[in-house]
Parts: sequence; C-alpha cells; structure tokens
Amino acid sequence: MKKKIGVYVCHCGGNISDYVDVEKVRAEIEKDESVFLSKTTMFACADSNQKDMVTDIAEKQLDGAVVASCSPTLHLLTFSAVAERAGLNKYNYIHANIREQASWAHSDDKVGATEKAIQIVKAAVAKVKRSNALEPFRVAATNAVAVVGAGIAGLRSAIQLAESGAQVYLIEREFFVGGRVAQWDDLFVSKETGKELITRLYDKAMNHKNITLFTGAEIIENSGSVGNISLKVKIAPRHMKLDCNEGNLGKAIEVCPVVVPDKFNFNITTRKAIYHNFPGEYPQLPVIDIENCTRCGECEKVCENVDFSQKDEFLNIKVGSVLLATGFDPYEPKNDEFGYKTIDNVVTLPQFKRLVHYCDDKLVYKGKEVKNVAYIYCVGSRQVDGDNKYCSRYCCTATIHAAITAKKKYKDLYNFHFNRGIRTYGKQEVLYDESSRLGDIYLQSFEDHPPVVSKEGDKTIVTINDILTADKTLEVEADLVVLVTGMVPRQDNSIGSLLKIPRGRDNFFNEIHMKLRPVETVIDGVTIAGASQGPKNIMESMNSSLAAATKSFSLIASGELSLSPTIAKIDVDNCGWCGKCDDACPFSALTKTDVNGKLVAAVNESVCKGCGMCMPVCPSNAIELIGYTDNQIESMIDALVSTD
Amino acid sequence: MARINPKFTTELQSYGAFDTNACYNCGNCTAVCSLSDEDNSFPRKMVRYSVLGLENEIQTSLEPWLCYYCGDCSATCPREAEPGELMMSLRRYLTSKYDWTGLSGMLYKSLSTSVIAFVLLAVGVIWFASSLNFEPELLLHYGHYFEMSAIGSVFLLILLPNLIRMWNMVIRKPKVNVSFSAYLKSYSELIVHMFTQKRTLGCDDSQTRWFQHLILVIGYLSLLFTTVFLDWFATDSSFILVLGYLESAVIFSVTFIFMIGRLSKKTQVSKNSHPSDWFFVIWLFLMGLSAFVVRLFIDLDILETNIWMYLIHLTVLVQWAIIIVPFGKWTHFLYRSFAMYFEKLKSLSIS
Repeated sequence: MKKKIGVYVCHCGGNISDYVDVEKVRAEIEKDESVFLSKTTMFACADSNQKDMVTDIAEKQLDGAVVASCSPTLHLLTFSAVAERAGLNKYNYIHANIREQASWAHSDDKVGATEKAIQIVKAAVAKVKRSNALEPFRVAATNAVAVVGAGIAGLRSAIQLAESGAQVYLIEREFFVGGRVAQWDDLFVSKETGKELITRLYDKAMNHKNITLFTGAEIIENSGSVGNISLKVKIAPRHMKLDCNEGNLGKAIEVCPVVVPDKFNFNITTRKAIYHNFPGEYPQLPVIDIENCTRCGECEKVCENVDFSQKDEFLNIKVGSVLLATGFDPYEPKNDEFGYKTIDNVVTLPQFKRLVHYCDDKLVYKGKEVKNVAYIYCVGSRQVDGDNKYCSRYCCTATIHAAITAKKKYKDLYNFHFNRGIRTYGKQEVLYDESSRLGDIYLQSFEDHPPVVSKEGDKTIVTINDILTADKTLEVEADLVVLVTGMVPRQDNSIGSLLKIPRGRDNFFNEIHMKLRPVETVIDGVTIAGASQGPKNIMESMNSSLAAATKSFSLIASGELSLSPTIAKIDVDNCGWCGKCDDACPFSALTKTDVNGKLVAAVNESVCKGCGMCMPVCPSNAIELIGYTDNQIESMIDALVSTD
Repeated sequence: MARINPKFTTELQSYGAFDTNACYNCGNCTAVCSLSDEDNSFPRKMVRYSVLGLENEIQTSLEPWLCYYCGDCSATCPREAEPGELMMSLRRYLTSKYDWTGLSGMLYKSLSTSVIAFVLLAVGVIWFASSLNFEPELLLHYGHYFEMSAIGSVFLLILLPNLIRMWNMVIRKPKVNVSFSAYLKSYSELIVHMFTQKRTLGCDDSQTRWFQHLILVIGYLSLLFTTVFLDWFATDSSFILVLGYLESAVIFSVTFIFMIGRLSKKTQVSKNSHPSDWFFVIWLFLMGLSAFVVRLFIDLDILETNIWMYLIHLTVLVQWAIIIVPFGKWTHFLYRSFAMYFEKLKSLSIS
C-alpha cells in the first residue's frame, strides 16, 4: 500500500472549476491519510505544472500520483511521462477524469458534479494505493522476415528488408517469380516491360546474400508470436536437376505429349506438362507440372536432367515478422456475363493483353482478323448487385494503355470504350488524352443500364444507351469484345486463414487503419503489401511494399521487443485447465501446460494483449489482469460507492 | 438504333473540320451557345454525331444551318476542338449531300478541282469571245443574255432539285408529318429569314456583322436586278445608272471589309477560312468592282478600246454563276432560309 501519494486537481481553465468546486475536492481528498500532498492547479498539463510535479515527486519521495483532470485519451500519456521523469514507475500513476465525467456532464448541477468528482478522485486514490511498479516484458526478436509472394511487391519488399540488414525468406507458391507483372509487356509510363521490371528486381534479390528464395513453396504451419514466429514451409519439387542443359530441355518439352491450357496466358494458348512460362523466366529452370504429367517418360528419354524421384521437402524457419504480398486474382466473369464463354469473341482484359503480345502484324482471334475492339469497363467491379462494390483502380488505365498499344501496333484498328466514367486519375490522365486524340470512341452508361453484347448472325453487336449522346441507342459491330475485369482477392486464402488475418468487406486483407496504419494487421508482426490488401497499380504496390518492409523491420530492428506488462496472469494453484479461457481468447494466447504434473493454462506473454476476455469465463477465478487486479478494481468500486 | 462509324471523321475533315477527336464531352460549347435549350444541345449534339459518324442523323439535322457561327463555342472549347468550325464543315458536307450532281462535294474537298474549273471557264469565255472577234457590242449582248439564262437554268436544274432533296432528307424521310396548311402558314418564315438573316441578331454581341451582311445581301440582290432586268450597262436612265454604281460599290466595299477580316483573323468566325470561303468573298468583290469599272469605262467611252475589262467582268461572272452559285458557298443563302422554314414545319408537325 502506498502511503505518500500526491494528488493534483486541475481547473482546466474553468472547464472543470466553473462547475466543480476543485478546492472542495482537494480538501476532501486531503483527509485520506495516504495522501501526502494535494494541490489544485489552473492547467495541470502546462509545462510549469509538469515541472512542479517532477520536483514534488522527486523531492518528497512520493510513491504514487493522481491527476484529476480531463479524459485519459488526452493526457494519460502526458502524466505517465511526468511520473517517469521524476523516477516514479508509470504504473504508479493513475488518471482521474473529472472533466468529461463530472464538470461537462453535470454542468446543470454544481453540487452533484463536485460530489461525483470527489468520488472519482477517491477511486483513483484507492487504486494508486494498491498499484505496483511494472516493467515491460522484453522478448528477443529474430532478425529475419518471411516475405510471402515473389511478385513485384514481394520482391521489392524483400530487397528493402535485406538492405536494412534482415535475413529474408522469400516464399513463392508458383515455380516462377514475377507474379502478375511478369505477364505484362509495356507498362505506363515508362517503356519498360513487366518482364524487365521483374528481371531487374530478381537480379538484385538473387545477388543479395540475405535473401533466400523458395519456389513451389507454401507455409503450412505457424506458431509463436511477433519476434519469434516459427513457420513450416513445404517445398514442392520441380522434378528437374539443378544443372540443366538447355538444348536437351527444348527436346524434352517438344516430346511431351500432354497439352494443357496455359494459365500464364490466361488459357488463350496451351503448354506442355513440362514447361516454363516464357524464355528467360526466373528461375531459368523448367518444371514438370506433376498434376497433369502422365509419367509417360518421354522427356526422360531425351533429357538426362528429368528427375521423377524428387519429393516434397519440409523446412522449419524462424522469423521475427511475416510480410504478406500475395497479390490478387483477375475477376473471372460469370458464364454469359456480357457473353463471356457463350459468345465466341468475348475475352477478358488479361487475355487481350496476352493476345496483343502474341499477334505481330495483324490482330487475329480464333482465325479472324480483328478491326473493331469493344471494351466493356467495370466488369466485376463497382457492382450494383454483386459483392465487389469497390473500384479496381488499375483497369481504366490498363485498358486505355492496351487500346493505344493495339492501335499503334495494328493498322486500321478502332477502339470503342463502353465505360461508366473514366478514372485515369493522376498522371495517367495523359493516356486518356492520347487515346481520344488517336480517335478512340468513348461511350458511357450508368450502372443500371449496362451495354449489351449480342449475336446477330455471325456478327457480334454491342449496344448501349449512350448518356454522352442524350441516351441514344447506339451499336458497334465488334470483332472482339474485351471485358475489363478488375481485381479480386486470391481465391485461395490458405495463408490468410493460417495466420488469422482478418479480411475486409471486400474480402481483401484488412489493415488496422486505412489511413494511419495502412500496412499493419491486428496480428502483431504480420504486415501486408501490394494488391493483397486491395486493388493497386504497380506504383501504389511499391509504396505499400516499402512501407510494409519498413514496418516489419522496425519490429525486429533492435533485436528485442518491448511488450506491455498489463497482461493476463494465471494463478497456478487455482487453475485446473478447463480450456474456457482458450476458447474466449481472440489471440490464441493461452495454452495448456504441465506444471509439476498438473495441467494448467499458460499465457504466451508476447501474444496476450491484456484484453481481459479470459477473466470472466474462468470458473475458478484463476486469472488476474496485471494492472487491473480484482483487488484494485474492487477497491475503486468501494471508493465510488462509499458515503463517508 | 444507330451504328457507329469511326471512319466518318476522316471524311468530315476533308470538308475542313478540325480535330473532332479532341472533344472530351465537357459540354462547354453547349453551355455558352445561345441556341442551346433543354431539347436541343447546340452544338454538342452535332459534335457527338460527327465523332460517332452517325451520317443518317446528321443528314436529317437542320442544326448546322441554324447556327450562324458566332464562334463562342470555339473560343471556350478547352480542347481547341473548334466546334464552330465543325458546324461550318457540316454545312459544307450537307451542301454536297443535297447536291444531286455531286459536284459540290468534289469542289469542296479538292482545291485543285476548283482551280481547274475556274481556269477552264476562263479559257471558255476567252475562246467564246475570240469566236466573236472580241466584238464589244456582241460581247455585251451575249453577256446580258448569259446572265438571264444562267439565273433560270441554275435555279431550275440545280438549286430547285437540291432544295427538294433537302426537303426529302429532313422532312419526308424522317417522316415528319406536316399538314398542307402548315406549309402555307409558315412561308413567311422563309421570306423573312431569306432577306433579313434576323437569326444572326441573337448570335453576336455586336450587330455590325449582321448589318454588313444585310446590306451586302440587299446590294447583291438589287445589283442582280439592276443589271439583268434594268440592263444597267445599256441604260439611259440616270437613276438606274447611279443606283448601279451605288450597289456595286456597296458590294466591293463590304466584301473588302470581309476579306480584311479573314486576313486579320481577329474574330472567331474569320479565323478559319476554307478555300470555298475565299472564293466566295473574292469573286463577290471582283464582281462588284469589275461591274463598277465596266460601267465607268462605258461612261468614259473607253470600253470599246479596252474590251479586256469587260472580258474580265464576264469571266468573273461566268465563274460565279456556274461554280459558286450552284455548287459553292452561295447556296447557304437558300439552305439557311429553307432550314428556318423546315424547322418551323417540324415544330408544327403532328407528332
């Protein structure tokens, strides 16, 4: 019990003292024999008063302090810091709110407001008497980060982390790096292709000693907490020996009899069961698609590097933080959505981009030359009825860029943009300008009257009530209809489920605060980057990658983590492990443990947030929350209701 | 339902239109246009039709004729798409669509064709004159005879059929239901607009352009009357003599002002001059001036020794009557006033 407590009652200019008789409050509190010193002050937060408090606490050797002033949201940290500056543990400082809870709330009743203020301050004094000095937990942090996804966001984050000095495990589920960006050719605004960007990042990453890349790899188990996270990684084999001979590989691909749609080209082309995405793909080592492989053995006959004996490998790694850069999936239109899969010349934007890549002099789709291209915007985004209410941000720019590319590449090509308002925001506006100067035609409709794709004989007709032409019904004979599909979250959310990353209403990974904490998740130590968090263009993905890398590194940079001491504590004598606390804990901080032959609950100190959810469910009252013990809280209640 | 034809803009550009692709549908042109109202979006509707290549819609439209080119739209266009000049080009386009001979289109689209036509006619006149041994009396006689017959034949063979084609495009084909009495009731509209161009009054802040244009029209029509029917070059009446001098002086003075305007490009309307604009204003100027000088030569009694002067006048006259009147810019005199008439008919139509 503290016996030399200092109490400061604040006027707050008049905010408090106009309604609460602060002198009376002080006089009442002074009666408590544990109160060694009591003062009123015009502004407790003023520099001069803070200095006086430091002097008081230090010179008079006070062992507890209370300031009765405004909301703790505003100044708790201010006075905790004052206590620390004076050499008093900050947990021996208690804040009493007599402004929001007394003077402002009861400005019509000065006597009542004063009485309430006295009770509130008494409660604070009761708690401070029973307060203990607490020190933060210090946990050693592993100087390593797992970056999940080796697309452009993952690669950039990995390089940033490695350059900061962290060990980086770059974990890619596919067998090749580069993600979506590797699938694109020219990009706005530079002439650099997606492949060139990826090559640049790949070279840099591979030349950095701190980065280890795993392809065909997935995290399958996760334990521990921020600073010390243990991950189990499953690495699928490529079924190829590492030192390959390029000549024989070509033959092996040639002889493979299995033909499957090529996902890299969004199924507009096919590939073999032994493949690489394109020449120069990274890593430059083909892979055998074992799911589709028939094990006919043809490739083995011509290529000595094929190795069917390779098995899954498992690797345990320990990291301080996990950075998720798992990217997005392109929206897959429903059957017959704008004629998709029911009308023969309807493709998606990603397919169109790959098509333009493969067609040199003439744009040809399914054997027919394409002259008129109709782009239908916002397919799968900004849905009125569907779940995807959001704008996918990148598609207007990407479409116009693709349209200009096609227009410049092929003679006499005409572009028709069926849009719902063009959003080439920021610097991308110049593309819109260029496209309309090139003669691209823009037609616009509202969401309730989307364009219609229909078949008239062997012709494909796109019809719209164009609001730019006074709602006139207009039609275009299209040789190719391109559905501008937006971004959706990865269909496979296994990593999100494993790490318990909450998802937003849009189903992308959710940040803590959209504006102020944009790359952190509620799971300590896990940050998110790139389009895994929501639709982003490359530029925006880079911003978030660098932010997430910095945030992840800041957790482990000092080699140890300082964690709040106000967490749950188990009374081993009373606990009989019923598991109810474990069920109630939203952070999985409680585990069953054996203490001298007795099964009891144990708190993982680096995971517990001190939320208190476990305490009321414990049938034997074996859990205390440090800093908010039953003893402390009950004494406060007693003080609040006492009448003397 | 209308099908989009992006190739149309290329054709329209051969009539003088600027970069129609520059339009990004902001609607500034409509906001400033004094002709625009809730039902009719001037000139954006026509801009949009042009960009989309809706030829049928353009051909049934009267809007291009209802615009008198104040140029406010071009001046306020943030993309410098020159909507005013587009309307001008649409008038040229429509003129060639109304013309059954197709010569209008050829002359509008190709400067060299126009030049060749002018040269051929000049050669023709000189050849004809030489076949008469440059006999002044015969030349004047045939010149007068040509004037009278040209008026009649150009009107009957070219202008009347073209007006009927215009009516067919804007009234009959779109199935505008007009009662016979409406045709009779509205004819005053035609006469008033033909001789006053009063619609221009709503377009400009200053009335100067309207006034200059008005006296030019009156001067031109009355000089035509004075030379053809009052036989100015052979008259003995001093009243007719002075009247002719006055009328021709009005013509070459006003057209001189117009030419200066087109050269200085100070107003929006004179900024962009298509060859057909120059031909129109220069030939009108030459007509007024040469007529004036010819009559002066007669009065000074030196024409017989200087018959070249009459030859110049006759050449200008023939070129004017055979190229500019039936196939050139002169036709706007008719189409504009008939457009007002047809517009009135449309408003009276039973829908």
